[in-house]
Amino acid sequence: MNRDDLTKMTKIEVVVTGADAPAVHDLFRTAGATGYTSLSGVSGLGHHGYHQGRLLFNQQATLELLITVVPDHKADTLLDGLRTLLQDTAGVMFLTDTYVSRPDYFT
Amino acid sequence: MTTPPHLHRPGAGSATVTDTALAGPPVGGFLPEDIGAALDRRRARLRSDVSLAARVLPTHYPLPTFIAVNPLDGLRHLPFHAAAQRAGELYGARATLPESSYRRYHAQGRITDRDLAAVLTRRYPHLLDQPPLSLGGRAVELLSVLRADLLHGQPAPDPVRVYRSISEQAAPAVADRVDALSSRWCAAFLTSDTSAWPMPGRRDGFYPAWRDLAHRDRTLTRAARAALRALPARAEDAALTALHTLGVAEGVQRDYLTAHLTRQPGWAAHIRWRSEHPAPARIDLLDYLALRLTYETLLLVGHDRPRVPATTAAPNSAVRPAGLAARAATTCTALGIEGPSAPELAAVARALTALPATDRVEVWLEAFEHHYRTDLLTTLLPGPGAPLARTPASATEPATPSTSAAAAESAAESTMESTMAAARPPAQLVCCIDTRSEGLRRNLETLGDYETLGFAGFFAMPIRYTDLADGAPSDLCPVLIKPAFAVTETPATTPDARVDTAATARRHLNGLQSLTGADTGFHDAKDDPVSPFALAEATGWVAGPLSAAKTLTPRHSATVARRLRHRITPPVPTDISIDTAITLADRTLYARVALATMGLTRNFARLVVFCAHGSTTTNHPYQAALDCGACGGQRGGPTARTAAAIINDPAVRAELAAHGISIPTDSWFLAAEHDTATDRVTTLDDHLTPTSHHHDLDQLRRDLALAGQRLSAERCADLPAAPTRTLTAPGRAARHTGTRSADWAQTYPEWGLAGNAAFIIGPREHTRRLDLHRRVFLHSYRHQDDPDGAALETILTAPLVVAYWINAQYYFSTVAPGVFGAGTKTIHNVLGGIGVLSGHAGDLQLGLPWQSVATADTLVHEPMRLLTVIHAPTDRTDTIIDRNPILQELLHGQWLTFTTYNDATGTWHQRTPIGWQPWPTPTQPPAAHLHPLETRNPA
Repeated sequence: MNRDDLTKMTKIEVVVTGADAPAVHDLFRTAGATGYTSLSGVSGLGHHGYHQGRLLFNQQATLELLITVVPDHKADTLLDGLRTLLQDTAGVMFLTDTYVSRPDYFT
Repeated sequence: MTTPPHLHRPGAGSATVTDTALAGPPVGGFLPEDIGAALDRRRARLRSDVSLAARVLPTHYPLPTFIAVNPLDGLRHLPFHAAAQRAGELYGARATLPESSYRRYHAQGRITDRDLAAVLTRRYPHLLDQPPLSLGGRAVELLSVLRADLLHGQPAPDPVRVYRSISEQAAPAVADRVDALSSRWCAAFLTSDTSAWPMPGRRDGFYPAWRDLAHRDRTLTRAARAALRALPARAEDAALTALHTLGVAEGVQRDYLTAHLTRQPGWAAHIRWRSEHPAPARIDLLDYLALRLTYETLLLVGHDRPRVPATTAAPNSAVRPAGLAARAATTCTALGIEGPSAPELAAVARALTALPATDRVEVWLEAFEHHYRTDLLTTLLPGPGAPLARTPASATEPATPSTSAAAAESAAESTMESTMAAARPPAQLVCCIDTRSEGLRRNLETLGDYETLGFAGFFAMPIRYTDLADGAPSDLCPVLIKPAFAVTETPATTPDARVDTAATARRHLNGLQSLTGADTGFHDAKDDPVSPFALAEATGWVAGPLSAAKTLTPRHSATVARRLRHRITPPVPTDISIDTAITLADRTLYARVALATMGLTRNFARLVVFCAHGSTTTNHPYQAALDCGACGGQRGGPTARTAAAIINDPAVRAELAAHGISIPTDSWFLAAEHDTATDRVTTLDDHLTPTSHHHDLDQLRRDLALAGQRLSAERCADLPAAPTRTLTAPGRAARHTGTRSADWAQTYPEWGLAGNAAFIIGPREHTRRLDLHRRVFLHSYRHQDDPDGAALETILTAPLVVAYWINAQYYFSTVAPGVFGAGTKTIHNVLGGIGVLSGHAGDLQLGLPWQSVATADTLVHEPMRLLTVIHAPTDRTDTIIDRNPILQELLHGQWLTFTTYNDATGTWHQRTPIGWQPWPTPTQPPAAHLHPLETRNPA
């Protein structure tokens, strides 16, 4: 695939409980991320067993997947904050290289 | 006093020597090449540390939407007693009643020796196998030794706050000054939207506004003001600088931040709430901590302090529990052993090692709960030959029910269906699960063949509601979720040509505008620096007599005010905009969920009433605590109206029929609201009720009025200073509760949910003839209609969680009123719309006022954790627990208890980490306060 016209950036995905999501939002914002995507009610099997997905009338007890894309130079700052946060929080983080077509949206 | 050099900062934003200090330990005075990036990372780590430190904080909702929450919910991942111990370390707060209170309950018979024995046996099963001790020539059982220690041992000392800042350790006066300053600035900022003199610069956020003003504070020294003038532009940098100066290493900074956050948990909790919600001006915990840490740094100059802060060390003044030797001697005395020998004392001391003195309150709490729970479960036992719930034959049985159990279930279900089909009730009343509804339901059921059900008071309609006045919308749903639909109230479109609804609505709105304008003008004049003098001259002649009338004849004054209001703002029939706000698919979905979850899917009555609730009180800042928790601390009428409108929609009914829920054409759904202060039930949207149902509705209204009066008479028995004659005269009782409701000096308008102790999920048949004394949340549920467990999962993860919060808030407001409660109402000062202060300064109060749980020094609320009774197969419950970590935490941490009835063994079982275990079989009749209810004649 030709990636010449794309800009390399860092994608960070975090899965935390709905109650911990505001802390992650705060880190995204202060680290300079210009936006994020949030998927609530994600389900799956993990370190603490199976997690039920969408609950009808409880959005705090379910897991939330938060995705953001930042330029590489902002990623280290965000990672430091997230690693500190996840030391004592039941959550996981994934980091991948990604390419975007509109870099101005993310800087 | 010298100015701390670290606070002299030439400018913000550029990398300086100060940045080096912030980014990490200085290395030989040289600037690292990537100092900017290092500082950014340090700031990010600090933010995360603040978030983690704040997890232990309670949640605080502002007064208009004050709802119950567990103040220790941040410690929910710990077992209850471990969380209780941690609460002691964090706040110095007790998490149970003191031992002396439990001993008094024991002396009164509220806790019996049998309760203590049951708990001790459950906690220490090996004790039963141990040989008795030989003491003073007689054999003494180990249980007796522990019991003697429980009853007579020297009480364990109260917990001591361990997380302490440097100023708390070395200079308490400085810590107090930091508290006073931070309280003052927080109050100024957070009330800016409602106060006459808003804080300058607040639109820029808390930290910038404070930074611009703090150096003008003439109560501070010149050096401190100079340092404040030089503060960095970012709150993170100010906090990092202060931590560096205080000598707090990054590895322990989270504990240090915890010490500051828990010092005044009310402010911190409210700021955290506000930072997570839209607000006109921004404030977050980092701003708050930057202020506190900066003040601490400045005010500590000149004081001796430890070089390295021991943030989590117990103070030297902490009292230690009595040693084993002393406990053994006391126990021997209590057992009547005169002059015990050294070996005897040693044997007793060995026995006492099983129960550390600090754990005795755990035993007391469990015994306290055991007594009530055993009484309740005994009362709930079915009569001979009447299965209570169709559960698998064995409590330890695997997921698939046995053939015989399934057959029995099927037979029972069929019997039930035929019974239900034979008798169509005249009306069905669906009430909130709120414990107060139990009294209304019970009293109504004695007046006829009414069927009542319990369901979360928002009736599965999570709406954002805008009323006719088109003011700020209200979120009417549990705080666990966000509103799904925006619903508005509009003037009714009535086919009756004689009624000009639009004109009435215009008069209503114009009147409302006039009243609001007058109210705003009055308060503006009152808050202005000069006009209050003129205001007093101009209105004093009428305000004085009005005040006297409100004080002396509150009910009559309220009636006059209400009539006057109706004249100015005539009532207007209105509709709820469901057609435009909610798609047919969603209307159908939510209607199905509501009906299926409450188990109302067949045998519909001619009238089905969704009865919401609210509380009318006067001059009561905690009004929202008495309204519906499932509606976010608001009155629930609009949600009931929405639910009724949706289910009356012919298009929705057609869709429901396609899904197997056939509602007869002559079944009409309507909304009502139960005023829990007066016990009056008002039906809503009467203009929509078909004339064919007017007769049924009139009869129902009469019975609801009588049921409400009887409920008032019941409640008067518990309300302080209620005339004794109200107990036998329901009409008089109703007038009395009406008076209390309108009395602006009344500190006990109602008891709210005080006394709550259990949550029953199951059909009403199991509780219908019992007087549960308004202590039990009742959620209707038929497991036969819920084969996949979806409805039960919804109940366990939402209404139960809300009930657990309510239970925990009442619990902690009772056992630790000074920290997790709001203290006495009599000295409350309302602060804008955010909370109350005790007196004129200090921390924002958390939790419920003392008058919500006690009278003077007598507890009305019995602080116990929530017992949950589930009428469902155990394997279904287990499956739901296994896939929901929140239930695992609550259950395995003993924040609440699950029980179920097993038909095969005829006993109750309790869910434990190792499965369902038998509840100790009660052998005595239930206590008098849980007697079976006799059906009363309507007359």
